[in-house]
Amino acid sequence: MLNYKVIVLILGMTLVTYIPRALPAMLSEKIHFRPKMEQFLNLIPYTAMAALIFPGIFTVDTARPEIGLIGGAVAAVTAWLKCPLVICVLAAIAADLLLYTVF
Amino acid sequence: MTKEQSRTDYVRGLKFGMPILFGFIPSAIAYAVIARQSGLSALETILMSAFVFAGASQMLAAGMYAQTGILVIILATFILNLRHIIMSTCVMHRLKDTRMPMKLFLSFGVTDETFSIFTTTPESLCSAPFLLGLITVAYTSWLTGSALGAFLSDLLPAILSASLGIALYALFISLLMPNLRRDHRLILLVVITAACNTVLSRFLDASWAIIVSTLLCAGLGMLLTDLKEKE
Repeated sequence: MLNYKVIVLILGMTLVTYIPRALPAMLSEKIHFRPKMEQFLNLIPYTAMAALIFPGIFTVDTARPEIGLIGGAVAAVTAWLKCPLVICVLAAIAADLLLYTVF
Repeated sequence: MTKEQSRTDYVRGLKFGMPILFGFIPSAIAYAVIARQSGLSALETILMSAFVFAGASQMLAAGMYAQTGILVIILATFILNLRHIIMSTCVMHRLKDTRMPMKLFLSFGVTDETFSIFTTTPESLCSAPFLLGLITVAYTSWLTGSALGAFLSDLLPAILSASLGIALYALFISLLMPNLRRDHRLILLVVITAACNTVLSRFLDASWAIIVSTLLCAGLGMLLTDLKEKE
């Protein structure tokens, strides 16, 4: 059930995935950020999420860009109305399910 | 931190992490189906999830396995995961009082999703047990989905699995919204970043484009605004 090549692959991937995650943990006690740098770090979650969403969301279904757009819009509206996170995610899934079933 | 406090924080982490479940189970099923198709055994498929725990990289590896050598896949994985240096830096910055071994342990669980929830939760609620709660949900659902996909890949109706593709995007959008409502300047920053990444991803590999746009636009935001940390 286990192939030698796959074991090497898994171990190699484990290493190159863990190193970028662990590096900041190891260095975090040695580095002190200046206020400007803190501001920079505080903005990163927003720019990272924006980059993770766009343009990827247009290709949720490469043949039908509206699947990503409408699902995303439903999530945006429900979240703007302060619905709980789980509800927003489920509403987006339901909207796409509806789109696939009806159209 | 008292034991009682740790437990409360951990449970809060589990609760806040629930949306990840809906994103990870379908993604993991999709990964496992591709992995099986490209020749990995069910055990190998699940082991990769247990050790690597990185959705996009595993998806890539599963897709490439049938065609390319393992060194190429490992290199691609490394490039794809460089963004976690940035994310982990933000996460660790919020865990200043946590001991090193615990930090190293928690760093294994830094993903796009745990990072996003952790760094958009008010800092006063963030702690190591809270993060551990988020990671518990993420890791458990990733493994469960991988096992489901590895063993019963054909049982999920096609329409349902297609609709689940929106889940992770919906999660990111829903995490952003309350912040955009709170501070309208962030709307501008998000629009600029989205445009920047859309343009860059035409010229760069998608994972590089994400890294460059994230850093570039956060730098721009730092220069343009004087965003004060809330609370």
